Amino acid sequence: MAADSHIVKSYTAELDQLTTMIAEMGGLAEAAVADATLALRRRDSDLAQRVIEGDRKIDALEAQVASNVVRMLALRQPMATDLRTIVAALKIAGDLERAGDYAKNIAKRSLILNQSPVTGPISAIANLSQMVAAMLHEVLDAYVAGDADVAERVRDRDEDIDAAHTSLFRELLTYMMEDPRTITACTHMVFIAKNLERVGDHATNIAENLVYQVRGEHLIDRHVVPGERNEL
Amino acid sequence: MLDTLKATTLPSTEVTGLPTPMLSAHDVCVSYSGKQALFDVSLDIPQNEVTALIGPSGCGKSTFLRCINRMNDVIDGCVTSGTILMDGRNILEPSEDVVQLRQKVGMVFQKPNPFPKSIFENIAYGPRIHGLANDKTELDGIVEVSLERAGLWKEVKDRLNQPGTGLSGGQQQRLCIARAIAVSPDVVLMDEPCSALDPIATARIEELIDELREKFTIVIVTHSMQQAARVSTQTAFFHMGYVVEVGATEKIFTNPEDPRTNGYITGRFG
Ligand SMILES: Nc1ncnc2c1ncn2[C@@H]1O[C@H](COP(=O)(O)OP(=O)(O)OP(=O)(O)O)[C@@H](O)[C@H]1O
Ligand SMILES: [Mg+2]
Repeated sequence: MAADSHIVKSYTAELDQLTTMIAEMGGLAEAAVADATLALRRRDSDLAQRVIEGDRKIDALEAQVASNVVRMLALRQPMATDLRTIVAALKIAGDLERAGDYAKNIAKRSLILNQSPVTGPISAIANLSQMVAAMLHEVLDAYVAGDADVAERVRDRDEDIDAAHTSLFRELLTYMMEDPRTITACTHMVFIAKNLERVGDHATNIAENLVYQVRGEHLIDRHVVPGERNEL
Repeated sequence: MLDTLKATTLPSTEVTGLPTPMLSAHDVCVSYSGKQALFDVSLDIPQNEVTALIGPSGCGKSTFLRCINRMNDVIDGCVTSGTILMDGRNILEPSEDVVQLRQKVGMVFQKPNPFPKSIFENIAYGPRIHGLANDKTELDGIVEVSLERAGLWKEVKDRLNQPGTGLSGGQQQRLCIARAIAVSPDVVLMDEPCSALDPIATARIEELIDELREKFTIVIVTHSMQQAARVSTQTAFFHMGYVVEVGATEKIFTNPEDPRTNGYITGRFG
């Protein structure tokens, strides 16, 4: 944490541990997204299997963050910057846990896709995945550095991801219209693309929570209300 | 008259659009035997609200509180300057009637300090010296209402003639609150009123504060951040004799502006 130490040193240690756990979760979630897509591209079912199993670690970390947060709220009665840091950590852990779930879902779908011949815009999916993983990576770097300015810039990139997702969806539609035999595979890919886009939304949430943690201001949330914008 | 003189220096509430402050301190300085304890303290105390004063030990909270009812007058070598406006009058003016002021501004201390007299006499004393009751029936009425408002009536109504010192700590503190409000003050000052009480007695005092603010303006000094957060609507952070930050309690405890405030309330060095 950027702020100086508490008089009670174990309190600072607990806050630092929270940051460390979030950073670890972030690393795992980012790797899970990248690996799930790689498993699809390389038709590597072993890797897909590892992503699916690895999600347990992310879930366990989230549970640990949640229980640490509850303990700190009860025992430390945090105020001001500490309160915001702790509340943000809880929410960010939730976003990372969801990101892990989406990666797991992509891995499961790649296991299915690996059983039929290659079709569809795999490289466009890989491209979207790379954008999303990079966004996740940068927002977590900003989190560790406590940098709200970077977080705000990263957040703006969500629009690029939405645009890439929309164009990927159109591309998948053309595949399906040209050759209805690809519909099953392409439907999985539609969901994979959607999963990636959702991971981008969670990265956006993380950026917003980081801004709240640092500045105490809520940015207007673009994603909380489902169905408010054009859901694909 | 003084009030017409001072009225021109008052920031008009019609201009600011803010609710009328009950008290308005401007550039209050206090020193004890030449050692300055308060520096240019300016602070508005809004009417019928609870204002919490927080800050590290020795920062001047009690000193400021004691300015409001002129308790510093009795301290040798204590010199006060600046103004505290109440009803358009500067209560720091030496010519102000201190007895009258203390009827309008009551005080509750850290340690419950009932007089070594009966419960009844503890409450009746103030109204009697201020001539607030015309006869015994009226006095009885004031005693009952005050104890009722302090949430103590049910517990003591059958033993009004027993000594106040025989009550529990929490009851004694509520007795002192009843005594403070018996003279119908506008302002009640409380200097760490719960620091000698257990959590249940504390909760009852906090609930009482919440009820009392309908009728009174309350200024409370507390070392418990949680208590300040729970009972007050406005919080002022004092540090080394200065008011560093004052604002809505919610803002102070979730997103204070000054790093010193943040440092203090989060338990870091300021
Ligand atoms: N009667 C006095 N004579 C001399 N100095 C005093 C007197 N009362 C207070 N002071 C000094 O004035 C400064 C402010 O004291 P004050 O009691 O107002 O602090 P406080 O914020 O109420 O502290 P605490 O939280 O410990 O009650 C301190 O430096 C204190 O030593
Ligand atoms: Mg004091």
